[in-house]
Amino acid sequence: MEVGLLMLVGGVATGVFGSLLGLGGGVLIVPLLTLAFGLDLRAAVGVSLVCVIVTSGASASVYLQLNVANLRLGMLLELFTAIGAVVGGAVAFLLDERLLAGLFAVLLAYVAVTMLGRARADRSDTPASDEADDHASSAVEAGPDADGATLDQAVAGPPTATDRLSGPGYTVRNLRIGAVGSVFAGVVSALLGIGGGIVKVPVMHLVMGVPLRVSTATSNLMIGITASTSAIVYLIRGGIDPYVVGPTVVGVFLGATLGSRTAHRVDLRVLRFLFVAVLLYTAFEMARRALGIG
Amino acid sequence: MTTNGPRHLEASIGRLLTIGTYVSVGLIAIGTVLLIGSGRSPLDAAPALDPARLASDLGGLQPTGFLWLGILGVVATPAARVAAALVGFARSGERRMVLVAGLIVIVIAIGVAVGTAAS
Repeated sequence: MEVGLLMLVGGVATGVFGSLLGLGGGVLIVPLLTLAFGLDLRAAVGVSLVCVIVTSGASASVYLQLNVANLRLGMLLELFTAIGAVVGGAVAFLLDERLLAGLFAVLLAYVAVTMLGRARADRSDTPASDEADDHASSAVEAGPDADGATLDQAVAGPPTATDRLSGPGYTVRNLRIGAVGSVFAGVVSALLGIGGGIVKVPVMHLVMGVPLRVSTATSNLMIGITASTSAIVYLIRGGIDPYVVGPTVVGVFLGATLGSRTAHRVDLRVLRFLFVAVLLYTAFEMARRALGIG
Repeated sequence: MTTNGPRHLEASIGRLLTIGTYVSVGLIAIGTVLLIGSGRSPLDAAPALDPARLASDLGGLQPTGFLWLGILGVVATPAARVAAALVGFARSGERRMVLVAGLIVIVIAIGVAVGTAAS
């Protein structure tokens, strides 16, 4: 009973942290289950995939109803993440656990460095880019006519395939690079039990020209298919433990709900630095495990 | 194509995700309460998924039945979302998006085949 309650509490903590910091649960759940509860890495990845689908499903439904997520772009890219997820799901069972632990250590260090960069960017706020993002976001909420898209189309002729994937206030570009990035995100998701947002969001925002809010919302939508495709492979191969899934999923779901309701009351800068320290410590522990000294 | 069509589709898919997620998590929560209440540890060896036993486990209030059904619901919800989008795009005449949604369904089916072949 104690272990079940501890797992539930651990799930709540990872859900709160993940929600406050805009991370999917996977980055936190896998280390929690392996380092604190002694699960083997592949079993932890299977549980994490289920948690990731739950948290993405809950938030993507809200983004869709608010019309922030780009359904068409998301579906086109998730075709490629799903392909990557099938490949990653098949390969995950062939790789040595220590190699997976090493990859996870690299992932954690990368996320820590990215969060430090974000914290610095927050301090030297860039109102211009925020303004552009707000403009795109409000245009998305207002609908296609808000920026005169219909009038533009009438002047420029029938919309192209790229036009159909674009939204008000932005035009999608570099679809091929986006497709390659999506396959990579799918492989990483299946190998490490994460949603892959850390790959998809930068690719969509920086490479494909999609506003950050739309990228985040669309990535959330895509995570469901990415993680469920790999979860199917894990499920059929006996890689998902229902007893561990129970308390962890319930905890993560409660934590994510709590986190989203308290986000506005928390000083995220302090939290981010604390979290970076936790990530670096966890990366160190994972690296020890990879080297066989953990 | 009107602007109301796609918006209606997105709202419908959003509702489908909400219902699928909440029902599945509800089932997993019931299974968790039964598991913890029975004094079993989550670290005990869990029975494998056996679809034939699912109904009897649910009827007998066994945690395994609720946990597996909830997990299946979680995993199936995104695929149901793609199927719903496929139908919505077909109704609004977006042939390219119908093709994309159809290909995603095929990739998911390949995932099932890969998992089954390797197990």
